[in-house]
Amino acid sequence: MSTKEEPLDLIRFHLDEFVLIKLRGAREIKGKLQGYDSHCNMVLSEAEEYIYNDSNDDVETKKTEMVFVRGDSVILISPI
Amino acid sequence: MSEFEKTDPSKFLSDIIGSSVIVKLQNGINYTGNLQTIDGYMNVVLDNAKECSNGKVVRDYGDVFIRGNNVLYISEA
Repeated sequence: MSTKEEPLDLIRFHLDEFVLIKLRGAREIKGKLQGYDSHCNMVLSEAEEYIYNDSNDDVETKKTEMVFVRGDSVILISPI
Repeated sequence: MSEFEKTDPSKFLSDIIGSSVIVKLQNGINYTGNLQTIDGYMNVVLDNAKECSNGKVVRDYGDVFIRGNNVLYISEA
């Protein structure tokens, strides 16, 4: 039973690797996954945040050494 | 009994693991891909996922984890 695959395994397999996180409010963060929990709270290092405005061509970016992302704003997580 | 099995949602979800599905989110975006795993929160992992909005493929993902609270429905493609 403990070997049964569950969705959070995908995240565990990518600890210490770069992931893309899509967030509510037309935001995305790319960063190296340092930790996570079952709420999808995540800790990322070397993170870069992308904020998309209405006109898709203007994207604001912010770099952060280390960031904690609260799970409730997470939409999807994908390894890159 | 067989009638119940046909309509039990969690049985449906475990039956479609491995098949091609469409996951629609509350923000209107569709994801199509092969359903790898799913849990009781409706957290979903798709492989070979495509993000579609307004009928156009917007983006390709290898694997993607979708947090269950965003899911509107999951249908067999």
